[in-house]
Amino acid sequence: MIYLQIAANGLVLGGLYACIAVGFSLVWGVLNVINILHGSFIVLGSYVAYFAYVHLGIHPFISIVIAGGVLYALGYLVQAGIINRVVTAPVLITLTLTFGLDLILNNAMLVAFTADYRGISLAHPLGSLEIGPVFLPGDRVAAMALAILLTILLYRLLRDSSIGRAIIAVRMDREAAALMGVDVKRIIFPISPLNGPVFLGKAFVVCVLGGLGSVPGALAGGLLLGVIESFTSYWLGPERAVTVSFALLLVLLFVRPSGLMGRRGYE
Amino acid sequence: MSTTPTLSVMSLQAGYGDVRVLWDVSLEVAAGELVCIIGSNGAGKTTLMRCLSGLLQPSAGSIVIDGRPMAQATPADFVRAGIAHVPEGRRLFSAMSIRDNLLMGAYLRTDKGAIAADLERIYAMFPILAERQRQDAGTLSGGEQQMCAIGRGLMAAPRVLLIDELSLGLAPRAVELLSETLRKVNAAGVAILLVEQDVMNALELANRAYVIDHGRVTKSGPAIGLASDPAICEAYMGLS
Repeated sequence: MIYLQIAANGLVLGGLYACIAVGFSLVWGVLNVINILHGSFIVLGSYVAYFAYVHLGIHPFISIVIAGGVLYALGYLVQAGIINRVVTAPVLITLTLTFGLDLILNNAMLVAFTADYRGISLAHPLGSLEIGPVFLPGDRVAAMALAILLTILLYRLLRDSSIGRAIIAVRMDREAAALMGVDVKRIIFPISPLNGPVFLGKAFVVCVLGGLGSVPGALAGGLLLGVIESFTSYWLGPERAVTVSFALLLVLLFVRPSGLMGRRGYE
Repeated sequence: MSTTPTLSVMSLQAGYGDVRVLWDVSLEVAAGELVCIIGSNGAGKTTLMRCLSGLLQPSAGSIVIDGRPMAQATPADFVRAGIAHVPEGRRLFSAMSIRDNLLMGAYLRTDKGAIAADLERIYAMFPILAERQRQDAGTLSGGEQQMCAIGRGLMAAPRVLLIDELSLGLAPRAVELLSETLRKVNAAGVAILLVEQDVMNALELANRAYVIDHGRVTKSGPAIGLASDPAICEAYMGLS
């Protein structure tokens, strides 16, 4: 029965990983930019939610809108003002650029917020969910459900809308997309602000697991990583979870470089 | 062909970096015409096409569409002005479905009803595309990919369709079918500017033709006339 509980924990965690990885995967896939800044943006978003709760009493499920808005604005500025200047350059250039920006943002946050770990305990938690022998905290489940919902929404947007097709088209063939009338320079910035919550390392693994630039891949990869980490923590201890996930990444790179759900044309 | 030309190019010069490819190209395409450009490899045909769709900024000369100069225009401006470019090598979005590829062609259009009607028209023109509309474009054969690429171009509802290398690498039967379709498209009022390696086929299809050599127009005239020009026969068809 304990295994059911571990699997459930893993899925809850994985839903968040998926949401984290989708933005990273799209930016990598569409722009061919490895956005090192992604992780720091997530941390910044978390601070927005933290301060909104501590000082203004706004529940995190509501402050998502505020955090989303703040990061959208910031992401837009970074993309339009800095990254667009080198967006067509080889991947190493943009990687170095976002790495530098990440150093700046990270240290700025250290100065502003100190290195203390902070967390909030909600005054009115949603309670817990009991499904047979499995026991889950309600807020975690709600967060996961929201994460998956956002991921699915993004997927539908990409598949069924003209702007979504344009994003994918730019990813596959910039020049052909331009011939369709897509403004290749503009198509790129609505994406990075969607980054939402992420930790860079996880995002990397999820992308490789699932397949680059594929939203269902990010979802599947995220859930899989959550479950794997959950079981590794139980069997080998939580400190091994990261080791195992990166080992998995290396193995997968050898065996199936396009990812579990990666398709031809996306590699 | 005395009406004002839909597309007119005057003394165009273009190149890449220090390399000049087009030295002096002038040509015209009137509404409803089917014009072809012939020339050997490296003559500048593809470079010309890239200028005509805004992918490459010419260094001198002008491109005028319906009396409107297209200086500094982006590819999107060219699409809006009524030019659709079917690029060399098709350049389909290979991991996207055939239907989505066709819809990409209509990216700048907002008239939903007319887009749906045009999609049906393309499917009627190339039934194989309708049959496989959910399949990835990369799974099609070369000829079918060219159908999809032409369909994608037509989805922009252009007045001039640019086609760069219609028959390159395709089976003769596919070329025949595509040529037949182009005739119908042209008869329906879409002007076509065709770049074609297969000179015989090109001159058979076209009303008029231009010969480009080393970035300059060296000859032009009615296709029938050029087809019986001994110099052309010798240079481009291997006949004498």
